[in-house]
Amino acid sequence: MTPRLRIGLLALAGLALLPGTAAVTAGLPAFGATIAEYGARINAIAPGERHVANMVSAINFDLRGLDTLGEEFMLLAAITGTVVLLRGRRGEGITERAMRRPGRAVIPRSDAVVLACRIAGPLTALFGLYVVVHATVTPGGGFQGGVILATATLLIYLGEGYAGWRDAVRSHWLDAMEGGGALLFTFCGLVPMLFGAAFMQNILPLGTFRDLFSGGLMLVENLGVGMAVAGGFTQLFLEFMEETREADQPDEPGEETA
Amino acid sequence: MTHFPVALLPLPVAIPLVVCASMLATAHLLPGRMPDILATVTALAVALLSGVIASQATEGPLVYWFGGWEPRDGVHLGIGFSVDAASGWIAAFIGLLYAVTFVFAWGFFARTHGHFQILMLLFLAAMVGFCFTRDMFNLFVWFEVMSVAVFALTAYHLEESALAGAINFTVVNSLAGFLMLGGIGLIYAQSGTLDFEGIAAAVARGGRDPVVAGAFCLVAAALMIKGAIVPFQFWLADAHTVAPSPVSAIFSGAMVSLGLFGLAKVSALVFGGSDQVHRAVPILLMGLGGATALLGGWMALLQRYLKRLLAFSTISHAGIMLTAIGALSLDGTGGMLVYIVGHGLVKGALFMIAGILLATRASVDEIALRGLGRGIGPAGIAMALAGLLLCGLPIGVLDQGTRLVQGALARGGHGVPLAAGVIGAALTGAAVLRAAGRIFLGLGSDPGDEAGAPSADEREKLNRPLWLMLGPCCVLLAADIGLPAELIEHGAPGAAASFLHRAAAGGLAEGPAWLPWLSVAGAITVAAYGLFRRSLPGFVVKPVRATQSAPTQALEALHSGLTGDYVAWLAVGVAAIAGVLAMA
Repeated sequence: MTPRLRIGLLALAGLALLPGTAAVTAGLPAFGATIAEYGARINAIAPGERHVANMVSAINFDLRGLDTLGEEFMLLAAITGTVVLLRGRRGEGITERAMRRPGRAVIPRSDAVVLACRIAGPLTALFGLYVVVHATVTPGGGFQGGVILATATLLIYLGEGYAGWRDAVRSHWLDAMEGGGALLFTFCGLVPMLFGAAFMQNILPLGTFRDLFSGGLMLVENLGVGMAVAGGFTQLFLEFMEETREADQPDEPGEETA
Repeated sequence: MTHFPVALLPLPVAIPLVVCASMLATAHLLPGRMPDILATVTALAVALLSGVIASQATEGPLVYWFGGWEPRDGVHLGIGFSVDAASGWIAAFIGLLYAVTFVFAWGFFARTHGHFQILMLLFLAAMVGFCFTRDMFNLFVWFEVMSVAVFALTAYHLEESALAGAINFTVVNSLAGFLMLGGIGLIYAQSGTLDFEGIAAAVARGGRDPVVAGAFCLVAAALMIKGAIVPFQFWLADAHTVAPSPVSAIFSGAMVSLGLFGLAKVSALVFGGSDQVHRAVPILLMGLGGATALLGGWMALLQRYLKRLLAFSTISHAGIMLTAIGALSLDGTGGMLVYIVGHGLVKGALFMIAGILLATRASVDEIALRGLGRGIGPAGIAMALAGLLLCGLPIGVLDQGTRLVQGALARGGHGVPLAAGVIGAALTGAAVLRAAGRIFLGLGSDPGDEAGAPSADEREKLNRPLWLMLGPCCVLLAADIGLPAELIEHGAPGAAASFLHRAAAGGLAEGPAWLPWLSVAGAITVAAYGLFRRSLPGFVVKPVRATQSAPTQALEALHSGLTGDYVAWLAVGVAAIAGVLAMA
């Protein structure tokens, strides 16, 4: 199809969809008209039965925890897939430490950058941890906190250089964190079944409303997600950095397409 | 407190997730063959558990509420799984197909340290979750997990064509995700719940409502995109052609038909109460399904690249399944369920044969390989048998499914889609038989129109003996032929009834016994024409060539491989669905 024909076809389809779209828009409940019954129920359940102040966490990690488990593994699939594609022909082989290209000068960092990163790095990590563990009290949780934690590892790169970063970060540990975190989350579903409860039923003590220790199982789940996200994102950074490296062994016959 | 067998329900999803998370955490520690073994055992466990669940679900669907959140005062709080016999058996079949595929791919992906198996197990867990769930948003979550896992699996070869195919897949299937999410948003706004039963009750209360119709339009379009129905089918040929053969076996054998399985479930259980949807569905699905069966069959016949040929054949068979759903009857649904299993077994075996050719002959181009298959005769016999089964040879599960589908269509008086199905099946069978004759017998020296079809250089590494590749393929064919017919005759009516949440009503109608033979005869004739074109008299060949070549080239040009074109066609498809719904 020529571009003009393609746009024409698309425009025609859009035109044909217009009356339907208008009818659907007119048929929807007016904006802000009703608070759905579901929402009202949850607003009562989360503080009352789970001692949780953050409704979003109560939905994501308890009432509809299975969706979040699916999302967690979607992230895992995306990261694993990206790793497979970035490694590509280079294969599993990954250097333990950063390699230096001979002859290329390493530009030294200014002291100010190093100092700023050394101060900001631990603080960022601490903040990430704070966001993870306060999932049930304040906005935030494992996904958000995990990304902040991963950012903290990038500050090592900024402050200490690539070699320093690679010394601090090991690919296998990241895999272990990512898989281990996801495993912890899944076990939060399976372990209650051993006690005769349903999958992901909250069987831990619920703690005090508006306290760090509230929500029971949700805290453990958020720790798992935080671990998995931090490990996964750092793994992504690492693979993007390593992507440019050439394969250091010749391809097996047929390997290029296998 | 939940008891057996209901307490089993989360396990077929949770077990693959546990295994793939542990495999990722310990990837570098696992010895060479461990990921293969673990993956095979896990898939078998899923199949076994799903089978147990299915056999316990004959009395009615088993229902499980996650987190113990049972509905209160009719308000659905959490997410539920609801497994009827049919969903359980389909999940068991998928688990089995995975196990056999893992054996076929033994050691093939050794270099990725289990990452291939991790993605495949995630894909499996998502498929089972998709079968079991009774929650619209949860359905969407599993739908998306499937898409994400598939992207990397498709692009695995990392060549330009592989990346192009994967990007086409991702763009089109992400749009499907958006459409589905939009549809879910609409239906949630109107009904205030995400549970299938809750929505169904709200839909039945509401009467004619444009919002419900709009939601159905979007969700149905999304599932038809997954199911490769015209005009959403374009991504499939590109993706299946470039994916590694074990992955293609799963794509064609399970993923495509699972989209249609979801469509059948959603149209019956969620939107079934809307008269508007109920009137539109037969016209829509019959029309699109018939067109898909014909187009897929014709396109399959025009291919020379075996994987692309099989991809188009899958499109054709997806169309036949869609017409069965459109019959909106117990017969049609039962037929579709049996057809999914039979088609999955045969198509999985065919993609494995393509994999064998890629590994041992370093090509799947039927013209380039002419006569080169002589050393691997058993594969040729398997391929010919699979081709015959595909077009309707009256033995085995696929044939039973075909006869049930034909019976449902004949009983409903849907002559045109019935004929389209017969022709589509004959054409795809002819394409496979012709390719088998060329490759393994060296026939068909005149390449004909196929010569103009796209081809590519591709090979897969040969790191396992022929029997290890041929074995799984034969297991699938044997399962198709060997599954006792009485088992299905007894099981299918009950499974279909429990799938639709209706009362069972005796046996299912079967189509006339001569109809499958018609398909077989048609397939052999067309295949013979393709192979012996050179020795036929001119007055037979010339008119065919003169009338066929131009439309053939036009059809091939439509499948341009350009994402923009595909998106434009997608919009046309959505508009068509909306149009039919508006008229109903």
